[in-house]
Amino acid sequence: MTQPLPSYQEKSAAVKERFAELYQRPLELELNGLSKTFTKPDGSPVQALLDIDLKIHRRELIAVLGASGCGKSTLIRIIAGLETPTTGEALLQGESIDGPCSQRGMVFQSYTLFPWLTVLRNVMFGLEATGHSPVTAESEARQWIELVGLKKFENAYPDQLSGGMKQRVAIARALANEPRVLLMDEPFGALDAHTRADMQSYLLQIWRNVDVTILFVTHDLDEAIYLADRILVLSPNPGQVQEFIENPVPRPRSPEQFSSPEFLATKEHVENLIHPPEARSEPVNLPILKLTQQDDRVE
Amino acid sequence: MTIAPFLILGKRKKWLEIRKDLSPRAASLLTLASFLTPLALWCIISYTPFLWHPDVKLDIGSSGATVYTAGDQVGKDYYPQLRQEAREANDQLLSASQAGEPVTASSRANIKTLRALGPISVRNGLLHEGQLTSDADIFQLWRQAAEEPAVFRRIPLSEENQEIARQNWTILSDASETYDKATFPKEKLLGLIPQGKPANPVYLPAPHEVLLTGWEQWTRPAEDGKPTMGARLGQSIGIVFGGFLVAALIAVPLGVIAGSFDGISKLFEPFADFFRYMPAPAFATLLVAVLGAHHAPKVALVLIGTFPHLFLMICKTTRLLDRSLLEAAQTLGATRKRLLAKVVVPGILPQLYNDLRIALGWAWTWLVIAELIGVKSGLTEIIDTQGVRRNFDQVYPVIILIGLIGFSTDQLLAWLRPRFFPWVPNARKPSIFTRLLRRAS
Repeated sequence: MTQPLPSYQEKSAAVKERFAELYQRPLELELNGLSKTFTKPDGSPVQALLDIDLKIHRRELIAVLGASGCGKSTLIRIIAGLETPTTGEALLQGESIDGPCSQRGMVFQSYTLFPWLTVLRNVMFGLEATGHSPVTAESEARQWIELVGLKKFENAYPDQLSGGMKQRVAIARALANEPRVLLMDEPFGALDAHTRADMQSYLLQIWRNVDVTILFVTHDLDEAIYLADRILVLSPNPGQVQEFIENPVPRPRSPEQFSSPEFLATKEHVENLIHPPEARSEPVNLPILKLTQQDDRVE
Repeated sequence: MTIAPFLILGKRKKWLEIRKDLSPRAASLLTLASFLTPLALWCIISYTPFLWHPDVKLDIGSSGATVYTAGDQVGKDYYPQLRQEAREANDQLLSASQAGEPVTASSRANIKTLRALGPISVRNGLLHEGQLTSDADIFQLWRQAAEEPAVFRRIPLSEENQEIARQNWTILSDASETYDKATFPKEKLLGLIPQGKPANPVYLPAPHEVLLTGWEQWTRPAEDGKPTMGARLGQSIGIVFGGFLVAALIAVPLGVIAGSFDGISKLFEPFADFFRYMPAPAFATLLVAVLGAHHAPKVALVLIGTFPHLFLMICKTTRLLDRSLLEAAQTLGATRKRLLAKVVVPGILPQLYNDLRIALGWAWTWLVIAELIGVKSGLTEIIDTQGVRRNFDQVYPVIILIGLIGFSTDQLLAWLRPRFFPWVPNARKPSIFTRLLRRAS
């Protein structure tokens, strides 16, 4: 590398100003001393999350990163109301979270579309569940389907859609309820690289136009840095906040920024947090025993 | 046509690959073969006399020490002995008459010997069933047997029986050319030697016999209070579907609830698990004592036989529903009632449909035992009464009928499934029978 990378903490004036404005916004989500202990089938306890404190402001886009098993999914499931914390509390706009509700929409990695409903009926599901009349539900749902660009497919069954399309329906379905918070648990993890990149720009466009705060769990560093305002890095065993990083990459985001100095600096820092250099294993040298020596110069 | 499967076999090694689907053409051919092979086997065994045929079916019975009437079957090993006994009896009569001391017999015994020519004459179309006791007609047949044996065309008389006919006719015609009770000879007539054809055991009637008897059963009018075949089938279907519907009516809601709520599951499932190991027929006498001897205990037996399994299967089906669908619905604001009605039920419906199909199959398997308890009824009454009388040609059509009805109901339900559940991915794949039908048209 010819030029040394800047520190990930160095921010341009515009970015600093943006964060200052962001912190002025009202609090959307607050976690106070949140811990979660699971009991394994053999009866022994597992500490999944320990003492998480977090303040998230309106319309922030937060990425949650961490090695697998660090409790990122547990964290997001507690906010969704699908798990209850062992100690501590989670607040949405100052009110304690108690069970799932339409205020906190969720998008899962496994799509979770209802296979027996068409795209239109899937998107209508939440609207009907929250008391909209079928007529309003249908016209509302149509608008959301148009927003994610699936107008032509509104009568298709989920099974007939590609992975990316399914996830767009899932996003439309969650947003149709106009939730305060959109929780996304590795939503693009099952998609191929190309679709994944498309979905990331989709998500940024949607987020720009919809009044919603997004919590985005991922294990892909590029994805986290490309999307997020702030990146929450969790350390495993037990899951604790390792660092809450202010992303120095300016907005609006575009794929060219993947090679910008701020991006690379942030990526290097996060990489070191998640996989510390001292913990990295030596490159594997296979014993040459069974490997035949060939003269073809492949490398 | 017969060579086609082998051509495919030769062309494609795919036939021996593990878990590889065959081409639709090959699959259709094999499906056809799976039905035609047993049928062909049955035909070959039935219609190739040298292949098995361990019995002899008598056209002429025996009236010696052991009485067999025409139509009876005797073992292949015993048949020569039976004939030998008849010959020896005749030899004694002959030697006595040569010695000048002809044996006399009661007219009743001689009439019996006379009538022994009846059945084979009927089978040759020379006599009606109703004339079997008309001695005047049979008397004339003896003349024909002696003078023009060629009229016994379909089933000819053996040489030795022709000779016996000639000798007897000499005695008979000496007295009178026509039957006359008064002048009927007292000299003992020679007995016909048993004769017959190789036959399979009575428990394996030939396909055409089964087919004809089946047709005859369906066209037989109701007589002395016995129901027609259609009415019997109606009774049997009533028992199968009655038991199945009651089982489904209880098992579906209970299974869905138990599969959804762990408390209900723990309360009901362990006992159902225990109960299903108690064989339903073990309750037969109890059911008759409580519910009477007619329709009710039979329906109840089918119910007992299917309910516990169906209930447990529906519990499992409900639990197999992807939990994340429920979580997604909850984050969309669905209440518990809506989760059950709009997620659990529609989510398991395609599998529930298949569960019910399987349960209907079980219900059919309980039918025969159910109809045997109390007052025998329906199709089973034929199976039981005719089977005991060894009229197996009456039994097979009924067994095959039960199989056909059960199988075709299931195929119909399988064919309907993609129409009920268009979203199920492999439901759009045509069933093997749809493909066969398409090939045929």
